[in-house]
Amino acid sequence: VAVGAGDMKINRLAYMYVMPAMLIMSLVILYPFVYNVIISFSNMNLTQFRNWKLTGIGNYISVFADRSFWYFFFKTVLWTVLNIFFHVTIGVFLAIILNKDLKGRTFFRTLLILPWAVPQYITALTWRGMFNSEYGAISLIMNRWFGISISWLTTEWGAFFACLITNIWLGFPFMMVIALGGLQSIPDALYEAAEIDGSTWYHKLRHITIPLIKPVMIPAITLGVVWTFNNFNVVWLVSNGGEPSDTTHILVSWVYKAGFTYLRMGYAAAFSMVIFGILILFSWNFIKKTRATEAVY
Amino acid sequence: MNSKILNHSIIVISFFIVFFSCSGRNPNRIMVWHSMRPLETDILREALAEFGERNPEWEFSELFYANETARINYIISALGGSGPALFWGASDNIGPFVELEVIAPIEQHVSQEYLDSFITEPFSANTWFREHLYQVGDRVGNHLCLVYNKAMITSPPQTMDELIQIGRELTKDTDGDGKPDVYALAWNYTEPYFAVPFIGGFGGWIMNEKNQPTLNTQAVIKAAQLIYDLGNKHKIIPAECDYEISNALFIDGYSAMIINGAWSWGTYLKNGIDIGIARIPKVDETGLWPAPAASPLGYSLNVNLKGEKQKVAVQLLEFLTSPEVELRFAAAGANIPSRREALRDPIVIQNEMIRSSLDQLQVAKLMPVVTELRWIWDAMRPSYQGIFTGRTTPEKAAAEMQELSEKLIKENRGST
Repeated sequence: VAVGAGDMKINRLAYMYVMPAMLIMSLVILYPFVYNVIISFSNMNLTQFRNWKLTGIGNYISVFADRSFWYFFFKTVLWTVLNIFFHVTIGVFLAIILNKDLKGRTFFRTLLILPWAVPQYITALTWRGMFNSEYGAISLIMNRWFGISISWLTTEWGAFFACLITNIWLGFPFMMVIALGGLQSIPDALYEAAEIDGSTWYHKLRHITIPLIKPVMIPAITLGVVWTFNNFNVVWLVSNGGEPSDTTHILVSWVYKAGFTYLRMGYAAAFSMVIFGILILFSWNFIKKTRATEAVY
Repeated sequence: MNSKILNHSIIVISFFIVFFSCSGRNPNRIMVWHSMRPLETDILREALAEFGERNPEWEFSELFYANETARINYIISALGGSGPALFWGASDNIGPFVELEVIAPIEQHVSQEYLDSFITEPFSANTWFREHLYQVGDRVGNHLCLVYNKAMITSPPQTMDELIQIGRELTKDTDGDGKPDVYALAWNYTEPYFAVPFIGGFGGWIMNEKNQPTLNTQAVIKAAQLIYDLGNKHKIIPAECDYEISNALFIDGYSAMIINGAWSWGTYLKNGIDIGIARIPKVDETGLWPAPAASPLGYSLNVNLKGEKQKVAVQLLEFLTSPEVELRFAAAGANIPSRREALRDPIVIQNEMIRSSLDQLQVAKLMPVVTELRWIWDAMRPSYQGIFTGRTTPEKAAAEMQELSEKLIKENRGST
């Protein structure tokens, strides 16, 4: 519906109510965004910070010509896919268990939400300590029980999987809570009817549970993808800023390093615009293809 | 009608709440950002409270940030027109800060007599750059020394060969699992700053007088190889060790020695460790002492300060660099004071740790304040760390470091 002058007049009060929020959103989101777009076409860096000038699309060319971009893009996709797979699988699995009449259900619900309740940086730093190959709890347990010794934080893929495990731990409770909400909204009558028809556990899962929790899970997965794709904290803190040798990065941690360590602001702004474009494309297509916004009933 | 008035009132009040709650900054507040350790933070806080009593119309406070975070946050806030009145840190921040125009020259605000009261040997405590004074030092050094636990080792090794020999005796597998539990030495050796002394030990340095990187050299290669061998060949240092792990090992008695700076010594003393300070052992091959990077530490003035607030901030700076305050820091953390008067004080002269620290300082190298140093540090880290993960060799790492540092300088300066 087009917003015309008439609409403005009729709903003036409503517009006035939302105006403070719109004004603040414009200040904290729209203005930085536009500024970011502008400096992505500039030569702003440590030596040209105050007297920067527009230099065209050079930064965008540098981003796509940089091997690091493609390498970290691959790692980011891998990171996102693996995280979301485990978040959703573990989350839905636990939600199905918790949806049953278990003894101590409230206790387990609280316990399983705990990883989500602990501040991310505390979790990340604790896991980093536990991954130390000589003194960390994980390494000690693996060594003692299985005789395996893994250099988690000093090898490229060791550090990647250390970050991954930490983020799986942090992320599954969100999916569990969302799935649990979806499961509780499914009428029992559907399961009862399926049971009368002789459906197996698998059939009920496939034809009732999954389709009916899809409307809540798809937006949650979309959000999860965006959050995971942009999950700077875990990667940065567990790998101590991309160690070893700046190999443990996803796109956002690398852009942070380019911007705030190397102060290559123009390049970092262009890089972040590319990340923004990737996420917009993904979210738009994902929601469109999965028809997540359509009603089920 | 009444409900309309009520609705409009709510909107107007909302606006006032939102906008006026955002402008709650106290204009009479003088803030100091720093990276001091907890013991020193207490002293700083006390000094600020004391100064606050003399200036009751002003509010003084401090805020801790880790080194890198402090630098980045200060740049962002000062570029945005705010930030703390005083910024405390090492002098290697000065180059980028001046380049970004976020700190103000200080020389016109203080007397020549005041400036003359600072030490100039082995290097100037105050940092001048492009003919302006940008930092007033409250201590000098910031250099690495060998710290040893006297309960575990009576006299520190003088040479690398001695270190390796003593190290083999001190490194022990106490629980019989085939892995050492107690190490001779631990330090944050994967961080380039903590490896730099060894480059000096082989007669090299990270940059030349033209501010160009000198990383692809035999000195860098041999230094990296030596550090690698200490862990992988001689096995007297842990295979994986960052700053926190090495500190924890030393404090808990799992490492007899650590290479660390004066900022950490107070913590060791507080934990009841009887520590001794010594030079990092001499490199046998060259007969040279390792040369840690040294710098003054002190206060810089925010470029955004004006009028009375700037005046009070300068007065605070003078107070914080007074001999009496410096001596408090010296007594607590064995810091080398920047004022001649404080350096002559019995508290300093009779302090064995300060004497040893001064001895190490004799062979240290002053860190340049130019911005190029920033890019060199950043360029060193990835390849240098690659040596310890097995990704690369010292030879290849040295070449990569050189290439990346030249690239970063070129990108930022426009030419090499």
